Amino acid sequence: MFDVIVIGGGHAGAEAARVCARGGVRVALVTMLRDAIGRMSCNPAIGGLAKGNLVKEIDALGGLMGEATDRAGIQFKVLNRSKGPAVQGPRAQCDRDLYSAAVQQILADEPNVTIVEGSVFSLLCDRSTVRGVMLKDGTRLDAHAVIVTTGTFLQALMHSGEVKTVGGRFGEPSAETLSDSLRGFGLKLGRLKTGTPPRVDRNSVDFTKLEEAPGDHKPRPFSILTDTLLLPQVLCHLTYTSTVAHELIRANLHRAPMYSGQINATGPRYCPSIEDKVVRFAEKERHQVFVEPEGLEHPWLYLNGISTSLPPDVQDAVVRSLPGFENAVIARYGYAVEYDFMNPEQLDPTLQVRGVDGLFLAGQINGTSGYEEAGAQGLLAGINALQKVRNGEPVILRRDQAYAGVMIDDLVTQGTAEPYRMFTSRAEHRLLLGCDSVYERLSPVASRLGILDDERKRRVDARVMRMQKARNVAESASLTPDRDTLVWLTAANVSLHEKATIARLMQRADFDIDRFVDVCEPALPEVAEAFRALSAEESDGVVSQLRYAGYIDRQQREAIRQIEEEGLRIPAEMSYRLPGLSREMVEKLSFVRPVSLGQASRIPGVTPAAISIVRMHLRRGAVRA
Amino acid sequence: MQPGELNEATQQPEIDTIVAPATPLGRGALAIVRIDGPRSAAILQRLGGATPAARMATLTQLTIAGEPLDECVAVRYAAPHSFTGDDLVELTLHGSPLLVERVIAAVVESGARLAEPGEFTERAVLNGKLDLVQAESIADLINSRTALQARLSLGNLRGVLSRRAAVIRESLLKVISRLEAALDFSEEGYEFITGEDARREIERAISETSAMAETFRRGRATTTGLAAVILGRPNAGKSTLLNRLVGSDRAIVTPIPGTTRDIIRETIEIGGLPVTIADTAGLRSSGDVVEEIGIARARQAAEDADIVLYLVDAATGLTSEDELSAFTDAIVIYTKTDLAPAPPGKTGISVTAERGIDELLLQLDSLVRDEFAAPEGSLVNERQRQAVLGCNEALAAALGALNGGLDEQVILVDLYRASTSLGLLTGAITRDEVFTEIFSKFCIGK
Repeated sequence: MFDVIVIGGGHAGAEAARVCARGGVRVALVTMLRDAIGRMSCNPAIGGLAKGNLVKEIDALGGLMGEATDRAGIQFKVLNRSKGPAVQGPRAQCDRDLYSAAVQQILADEPNVTIVEGSVFSLLCDRSTVRGVMLKDGTRLDAHAVIVTTGTFLQALMHSGEVKTVGGRFGEPSAETLSDSLRGFGLKLGRLKTGTPPRVDRNSVDFTKLEEAPGDHKPRPFSILTDTLLLPQVLCHLTYTSTVAHELIRANLHRAPMYSGQINATGPRYCPSIEDKVVRFAEKERHQVFVEPEGLEHPWLYLNGISTSLPPDVQDAVVRSLPGFENAVIARYGYAVEYDFMNPEQLDPTLQVRGVDGLFLAGQINGTSGYEEAGAQGLLAGINALQKVRNGEPVILRRDQAYAGVMIDDLVTQGTAEPYRMFTSRAEHRLLLGCDSVYERLSPVASRLGILDDERKRRVDARVMRMQKARNVAESASLTPDRDTLVWLTAANVSLHEKATIARLMQRADFDIDRFVDVCEPALPEVAEAFRALSAEESDGVVSQLRYAGYIDRQQREAIRQIEEEGLRIPAEMSYRLPGLSREMVEKLSFVRPVSLGQASRIPGVTPAAISIVRMHLRRGAVRA
Repeated sequence: MQPGELNEATQQPEIDTIVAPATPLGRGALAIVRIDGPRSAAILQRLGGATPAARMATLTQLTIAGEPLDECVAVRYAAPHSFTGDDLVELTLHGSPLLVERVIAAVVESGARLAEPGEFTERAVLNGKLDLVQAESIADLINSRTALQARLSLGNLRGVLSRRAAVIRESLLKVISRLEAALDFSEEGYEFITGEDARREIERAISETSAMAETFRRGRATTTGLAAVILGRPNAGKSTLLNRLVGSDRAIVTPIPGTTRDIIRETIEIGGLPVTIADTAGLRSSGDVVEEIGIARARQAAEDADIVLYLVDAATGLTSEDELSAFTDAIVIYTKTDLAPAPPGKTGISVTAERGIDELLLQLDSLVRDEFAAPEGSLVNERQRQAVLGCNEALAAALGALNGGLDEQVILVDLYRASTSLGLLTGAITRDEVFTEIFSKFCIGK
């Protein structure tokens, strides 16, 4: 007997299992292949724009993705460095073997986690309560909660040119019967597709013809637990397609499954195949290809930007048309994979299937794409399964609290028609969601739940206090433009015409904190001390919090207004057959069954007028079905 | 989850069927009754014995329980091709209030309920057949008293104002989507929009919203009509002029100064707009309490008025009791020019001699047309004005942030505010529209 069963050992499954174990309950992680736990099935990188924020959120909540990335990272870079803190996204290229090894080690360190190698045949239920799973070999596992994190493995079908292979990842089987089991609950499944580019043997590539793409000079780790990054840092490279490649692709379109009608499922608009790019943007003369090393010793390169399902002979020709790849040998051909996903509007905001007690879904099965999106869902599904087992309160992150909150609310409210990826623009209160404030926002939540380890708690507290102190000092210390002051200010390239606080100076676009701290010590020892205590990332965070204070305040006020709207709960038994509601509105509201008026208002196509009607009825209290 | 629970979503929910007279209750040749909702066709079948083809005017005998009600023309509209977007039936009855009441009672007995005021239009809005601006213009159109008012309302019902707002919305969507792309897809090697282009687009939207906000003065004047006040010293001929303008002896005219004490109002059409003209107590220090109150009211009315006609007895000329300096925009009219001439170059009239009246009317007519008549697409109410002004203010803040060198995420905060405010007219820009715009214009994705 277990408390929680996690089906799948990908990024969602690993987080779910880890957090339940941390919460003190017994977890079985069922995977088809023990060695595949924590595997990066797509490109060998973690983080990026918006995704990096998710990893930080996972770290602040006690999850493992940041730790594993720091152990496997071979190139760290903060994207959008020149822009505000809320949209800066840390990214790390990883050694894919070291990454999965790190995840496996982290799970091995949790005594409460039992890894079960096997394939789930069906879910076991007692009316509308989940009781466990049945494995293919007939083994029965009982539990109070089951978290399904099967990724792209439900009814998975891979396409490479005209060849179709059953399976969710190269060389691995598909989970065939679980889809039926989920359908048995009356759940609606949809079909999506995603693709991978060819992998090339690195020894067959002439790197002198490629543009170098280095990481940051001073790499910043993801996890608050990491003091030093231990692995050597390496280069990525850039190359570009040419009209030669585009001609080849055009000439062979009839052999591409997406165009021949072999695939009907929807792929992501933000991650089109090279076939798509060439057709839809015919006027573009070249497309960028980001060449990522698969690891320190790994013999392959990942050609990010040319995901394709064209047949192998065309892939050979296309790759060899790239500068530097004239003699390239493809080690694994690109392929498209089609898979079942569950329409996530059928979940409640804890990621539990509505109407099936104890059954949670997380990751790509919910129609998302990306390791980080999967990891964050896995963590939240895990936390809520844990709470369910412990009879605790559900944990739902708000949209102004975390990108993870935005994502889950989007998924359960709006569903998705294409693989859902996190973008900063999905968050209406983006300025509140910067990496700089992530530990203040989220660690207290994890701490209350008892899933934050002591070391992390200690480091979080120290960091929050350091940053708070620096903020206070900057807001209270001020300068007047007397002669002595102006002399040393000039050295910091700061002009001053009237008395101003340091916080005020920081609001200037050209303010350089490092330069300022270097020269301010004699005049402002407390400022120098407070800022020297900060890491570079923390110091940037404090400066930008002060710099954007006006806008941050405004977003906070807006968020509070929204929270009030969220506070207007809609009873689960609400009937939307209200006078004045159109059939379309009734259908949408009845399908999504929003838990609050705020959520209702975000359902696509639900009009403000319809919301007014629902609000009126909620206020009247005449809502019983 | 119980099997079948999801099916609730696909069942047709029971929206009420509503009924109301569409024409005023009173005797007339014809009266129209409208029935809207899913049961409308069934009700017509029950009372009329047949379901006519959609959109075919069909002669129908209405009966209930064997008792004949009326012989009418029925037109059935099938959803979504109706005014409301629902199934809808229109019955054109004989114009007797009694008949209308009996037919409505029979419809209610057949399963409909009486509509709330404005409910048909509300359903049209909920079903996306009309936007809010268009719905508002229906009420304005119905309340029109002049052709010009009707033209403005009809223009807005046809979407002239909505389209004007939609152009600004397009600009906003363009800038928002490109600035968002610069944040979310900065690694794609695109310059999505130059600062210069963003500035130009925002500036254009600012000047367009300013221009729209300025239409409110005329739009409101045209929808609500104008207020004109006749002001001047006692016995300047104010009541005489009012009576002449309205064409009847509305105000008492005597040679005794101070005859008019309270304000007398009458509405006439000038320059295509209803103008309510107010005759007021003559300005003087009288010592009479009642008259003093009347004079205070006259001053207040003149301050609030769109047009002030300031009358001066040509024989007396301006005196120290005149208050012309307080009303600099007033039209000064010298009266009783049959007794003494107006000063050279000034407007003079004599009602007795019927002199200068036509010229005065022409002058007023062009004043109204030039200064107050609204072109199509004008804003007509406070809600619309707030929406446009809020958008304008937020755009100005965005421009300030852009010029101040702040980055995209901050500019976007203001641009989304602008979109939300304008959204009161057009519907706010959704995140999905932003993505669709980005992915259709740029090749995104490594």
